Amino acid sequence: MGQYLPVFMLAVLAILFAAISRVASQLLAPSATTVAKRSPYECGIVPGRETLERFPVRFYLIAMIFIVFDIEIIFLYPWAVIYRNLGAGGLFEVLVFTLSVLVSFVYLLSNGALDWGPAKQSRVLSPMVSADRTTLTTVRRVGLDGRPDGDVNHDEEAA
Amino acid sequence: MFALDPLFSGTFDGAVFLIVLAKVVIAFALLLVSVLFMIWFERKLHADMSNRLGPNRAGPFGILQTLADGIKFFFKEDLLPDRADKRIFILAPFLSLVPAFLVFSVIPLGGVFTAEKQGIVTVFGRETYVQLADPPIGVLLILACSSIAVYGVMLAGWSSGSKYPLLGSVRATAQMVSYEAALGLSVIAVVMLAGSLSTHDMVMVQAGEGFGGILPRWNLIATGVVPFVIFVIAGTAELNRPPFDLVEAEQELVGGFHTEYSSIRFALFFLAEFMNTVTMSAIIVTLFLGGPAGPTFFGPALMWGPIWFASKLFLFLFMFVWLRATLPRFRYDQLMDLGWKVLIPISLGWMLLLASLNVAGDAGWNTFVVAGAAVLIGLVAYLMLAGAIATSARRREQAELEGSIR
Repeated sequence: MGQYLPVFMLAVLAILFAAISRVASQLLAPSATTVAKRSPYECGIVPGRETLERFPVRFYLIAMIFIVFDIEIIFLYPWAVIYRNLGAGGLFEVLVFTLSVLVSFVYLLSNGALDWGPAKQSRVLSPMVSADRTTLTTVRRVGLDGRPDGDVNHDEEAA
Repeated sequence: MFALDPLFSGTFDGAVFLIVLAKVVIAFALLLVSVLFMIWFERKLHADMSNRLGPNRAGPFGILQTLADGIKFFFKEDLLPDRADKRIFILAPFLSLVPAFLVFSVIPLGGVFTAEKQGIVTVFGRETYVQLADPPIGVLLILACSSIAVYGVMLAGWSSGSKYPLLGSVRATAQMVSYEAALGLSVIAVVMLAGSLSTHDMVMVQAGEGFGGILPRWNLIATGVVPFVIFVIAGTAELNRPPFDLVEAEQELVGGFHTEYSSIRFALFFLAEFMNTVTMSAIIVTLFLGGPAGPTFFGPALMWGPIWFASKLFLFLFMFVWLRATLPRFRYDQLMDLGWKVLIPISLGWMLLLASLNVAGDAGWNTFVVAGAAVLIGLVAYLMLAGAIATSARRREQAELEGSIR
């Protein structure tokens, strides 16, 4: 376990560093707290609603799917260290293992477990939304009636 | 093959303890100084890239700006929000900072990596490596610490009792967890080449003459570039740096998970964030660019290890700032799609391809047959995944047309 001694000592030093800066801050920092300062940050307005206690279930799904992959990865590491000694047999077993993970991954994907945001726009848009409708075609020019030519750009071109 | 730090192979006495203590203090100081430099460097370079001056008051070229900011944080009022879960709120910055320190302990910083020297240096009559620790699980320690760092972010947002931090931390957790899978899979290719999890062995494998006598024997080339690219992308996402900084998307989430933090607590988060940037660059250098291994020219050979390491490290620090100055932020669904539907399948497939080719080479099978079979299997896997994505899209469109909520 001697190999871990420096890691452990660095951890102790890091904790000490954090603790000392915490204590120093407590000694040096002013304390003039008010209710407004201690309330949740809402860009300056008084918080109107309680904080959310629930969030979309997809985040939980991600966490669970991650476990599937994390376990696969952690099984692959020991094999990767000695895969040359294991040869074709080891490779075959890993391929079978990967296949089983792949099948579950394909199942998850096809069920939309990893889909975010809205699906592709499938509604037919109304004719009011179209590339042909621009400000030139929809805004009526006012004050040009009766002129020899109603071209707006005419004056600019002449100048 | 499992090379361990020779410092601990002999008897354990006071001299060994003192050497360890000195190494710990030096590594600690080095990390802090490099973080101070990195924060200044990022602000200065980003300012240059957006045609501003950047910090220019404290010290020459504003290089002491970070130190001034750090001191200022001590004198700022430390607020504890009313709705916060107090204990966890106080604990979270420490959970973020301590793992950030620990990752650095397995990074090789120097040494001469020739067949005779094996990266060993002699200090006070004792043989040791120029790296803090070389446990046999090196790479796993890195992955473990980056997993623990997720807790700091998650608990910080969750315990703040405020909307924006909660949203930011939930996003951060899902993002970091997703990209950790891709990160872990791309490292496997490197582990296969080294035949060991120790970071020292990985540098050792990459030292010396490589391909054609011109190219270095880096894993970057030996693993075929793909794992490197995936590791850099996944590493950037793991750091929550732009373009993957949805965690603290200012326009939507104010400051993300640390919105409610002030004073030194915020400083610790900030420190951890930049420390992770430096160590992630160091990890990339160690795994794919040969770490401190490189040719030596004049002067003592020992001098060149840190020089090579620092110049390679600098390249990636520059890259991270450059990315931030250049790329716009991802949309959340794009981010998740990139992680799960692109990076994970590609890194898994590439790793299996490398393994098959190497095993085939050892067993003396026909390389072309194996490569053909691999391409065929890859094509089938691709068609399966593409089919699954198409099925899911079709189902969702159907559900949307029917007006049901999914």
